[in-house]
Amino acid sequence: MKQLKIITIVFFLLFIGSIEAQQAKSIILIYLDGGPSQTDMFDPKPDATRDIYGNYKNVQQTNVPEIVLGEKFPLLSKIADKFSLIRSMTHGLNGHETAHYAMITGDLSGGSVVYPSFGAVISYKLQNSYKGILPPYISLVEANNRFNEGGFLGNSFKSFGTKGAPEKNIFEVDGLVNTFVPADKFKSRMNMLADFEAQNKDRMHGVDEAAIQKLRTQNVEMISGKLKDVFNLSNETKEMREKYGQNRLGQSCLVARRLVEAGVPVINVRTTGWDTHKVHFQKMNQMLPELDRALWALLTDLDEKGLLQNTIVMCGGEFGRTPRVLWEAPWNGGRSHFGTAFSYLVAGGGFITGKVIGKTDKTGENILERKVYPADLIGTVYKLMGIDPYGTLPHPIEGNLPMLPSLDKSGQSNGLLLELIKK
Amino acid sequence: MRIYLIAFVLLFSVTIAKAQNIDSYFISKGEKPTLCSDEVFLRRAYISVTGRIPTKEKVAEFLNSTDKDKRSKLIDDLLSSDEYLTYFGNKWGDMLRIKSEFPSNLWPNGVQAYNRWVHEKLVSNTPYNQMIRELLLSKGSNFRMPAVNFYRAFPRKTPENIYGNIQLLFLGNRKTTDEGKVFFSQLRYKSTKEWKEEIVYVDYHMKAPVKQVTIDGISLPLTENEDWRTVYVNHLTDPSNKRFASVMANRLWYWIMGQGLVNEPDDWGVQNPPSKPELLESLTKKFISSGYNMKAFVREILNSYAFQCANSDVGTFKPNRLNAEVIVDAIADITGISDPYSSRVPEPFSFFPIGTHSLELGDATVSSNTLELFGRASRDVSLESQHIKELNSRQLLYLMNSSELESKIRKSPVLNELIKNQPAVSDICKAVTLTVLSRYPTPAEMQLYNSFATQNKLTTKQLCYDLAWMELNSTEFLYNH
Repeated sequence: MKQLKIITIVFFLLFIGSIEAQQAKSIILIYLDGGPSQTDMFDPKPDATRDIYGNYKNVQQTNVPEIVLGEKFPLLSKIADKFSLIRSMTHGLNGHETAHYAMITGDLSGGSVVYPSFGAVISYKLQNSYKGILPPYISLVEANNRFNEGGFLGNSFKSFGTKGAPEKNIFEVDGLVNTFVPADKFKSRMNMLADFEAQNKDRMHGVDEAAIQKLRTQNVEMISGKLKDVFNLSNETKEMREKYGQNRLGQSCLVARRLVEAGVPVINVRTTGWDTHKVHFQKMNQMLPELDRALWALLTDLDEKGLLQNTIVMCGGEFGRTPRVLWEAPWNGGRSHFGTAFSYLVAGGGFITGKVIGKTDKTGENILERKVYPADLIGTVYKLMGIDPYGTLPHPIEGNLPMLPSLDKSGQSNGLLLELIKK
Repeated sequence: MRIYLIAFVLLFSVTIAKAQNIDSYFISKGEKPTLCSDEVFLRRAYISVTGRIPTKEKVAEFLNSTDKDKRSKLIDDLLSSDEYLTYFGNKWGDMLRIKSEFPSNLWPNGVQAYNRWVHEKLVSNTPYNQMIRELLLSKGSNFRMPAVNFYRAFPRKTPENIYGNIQLLFLGNRKTTDEGKVFFSQLRYKSTKEWKEEIVYVDYHMKAPVKQVTIDGISLPLTENEDWRTVYVNHLTDPSNKRFASVMANRLWYWIMGQGLVNEPDDWGVQNPPSKPELLESLTKKFISSGYNMKAFVREILNSYAFQCANSDVGTFKPNRLNAEVIVDAIADITGISDPYSSRVPEPFSFFPIGTHSLELGDATVSSNTLELFGRASRDVSLESQHIKELNSRQLLYLMNSSELESKIRKSPVLNELIKNQPAVSDICKAVTLTVLSRYPTPAEMQLYNSFATQNKLTTKQLCYDLAWMELNSTEFLYNH
């Protein structure tokens, strides 16, 4: 009897040990689609030549002595204790489509299997525990469509792209918020549809009408219920809207915060225009202040509302840009694709903050310390979300496959970022 | 050689004698299905053969025709239409994973050349065995010998991956052993000075393996200075290799009927036996004896009771949700407003003029939110199941309440043309139902629409929009039934 007790206790302890300590409930990825310039943002090189720092010789000292930011980040400089920087991201890929795939799936194995995006993996893993009516994985305002992000998990785990424009007076969310059709009109249409379907039953022999009707009823609940208020930014004060910046990126971040409050686990704020081969600095003059404000507002707002400790915020692109400026025509001061060394910002959800991981050399063209591969970052995110990064996923033909085939493989991984996880 | 020929002719005549037609199979089983109505047949035939819905004029013409051969005539018309070529070309594109970016990475020039090749094979109705021989024995430039793109459409172009894909596509084997990969081990790739050109060639200097290669119990000797693919392809496409013919016959059956006799059609083996082995056997013989004539085979299926039956459960036509492309193109045809498509790869071949249908894209890298929503084939893998057939909540949200669909309805030149001359309510109902559901409304439906209009005090314009919305949301629209 006593033995049995001990065995039970041992098993119980083993069980406890096997559960990933979940610190994060949600993740917001601010995805800078096209490839942002780390040299002008998170890994400035003021001591290099003008061929490297380009038009931005000045830097921002921050409230963390170790962290120095690009000159266009005055707001983020005040809260450097709220995030950490990875300055040694690498995958060595310089083509958009392959880099997107690697960065978002963590897969560098080069096999013929197409892996799902991390957002799809999280939605798959949470499908039984997530009880919300909103889709578990939402993209503002459009999903990354450079590859099939459902991968072998299939269509149902792809993100829900809201479409619409959160910076406008009314944020029209695809299928949820529709300004054309008033509520009573929608209701009368649904009634007619129900009558029509009832009459038409025999014609549709062999189709599961009941299941379809059930989905429609759920949708009506979503459309006419309170849920869509999540997307209604007029519930926010003018000050709050201005804090985030009255632009697509800023207001998307504000919606992202509201989605976190609504319990949505994965939010992808995708902002485009970062593929600046030409007139790079002119574009950065406009885009970096918007990013500075949006990220600063999101981090401080989440923190003030007590949400940051359970929400991962991550910011970066599919790769970085060449530290060396191409002054010659036709680029005239542009930066090209650079997958060798780039930066990511991470915050919240159990990440240690105020720290810099990795180091690049004088010009930023080579990594000197602690290479971080996509699988390392995504595996760490899984761990923080309570998902075992060494777990498996079901492939329709191949059976169970490792969730992160590259993790801990030499040349494709350098191990999880355990040094960035709060104990 | 002469003996072979005689043997072949003998085999040929025996198989012809044995091949049973589809109807007599069902009759012999006591399962002769009842025929569906003309309106059901019309829409089913259009969607199954062309992936498009008929115009309202076509519907009226067909339904009012008294020609007793009108069904077989329609089948002939559809099979000789450009839309048939586009639709079936698209199905081949899904199988061959024609895609300019990840993971096939064929690039737009390669994609358009490859599509062109498929299109030409369908135009000439090249026998299936010959088409596959040409595909698998190809070598040369990806632009000038487009079939070589078959060997390029892999993120990792290894003999294992190539052999595995051939096994899956042409034999329905999801799992393969490694022994066959040697046939593809001589393949080499080199780039040229032309942007994105790639030459696929055979390295004849490779040492032949010492051990004999045995496939399906047959030893296939390999010698130096020959293309080992030939040895394998001869074996694969030989008429004695019934599996090769069966898999395509069953795939064509699946494409038309909505379910395979082996289902999924790319999952063959003892673990997944055919539902009607005798029928499959006789279809296979028929396909081989016709000289692997795909169009003739499809024509026969379309003319059978099995296809033309009223919805029933005896393994005949199975109602299925329209493919993403078919839904999207139907909405474009009904409203007269198609989605804009563009590729991010800046090449001349990646320009799509306004009015392009999604079935004409030919490149899974070019997409739209709606196509993704309804689950168009990603072309990541060569599985038929990559076409999403489920109807989910998000898709219904789009149909029920998206500004996009609503604005297409309101701005529709087609619908607005209908209401221009202030027609009677009954005319509106008739025109909308002909356009969206490809049939006339029933008296009960006319009554429903009339009372809906009176109750809600609708103008003809409002009624027209509401009706179009409702019919687009109906199960009848969303399914090929």
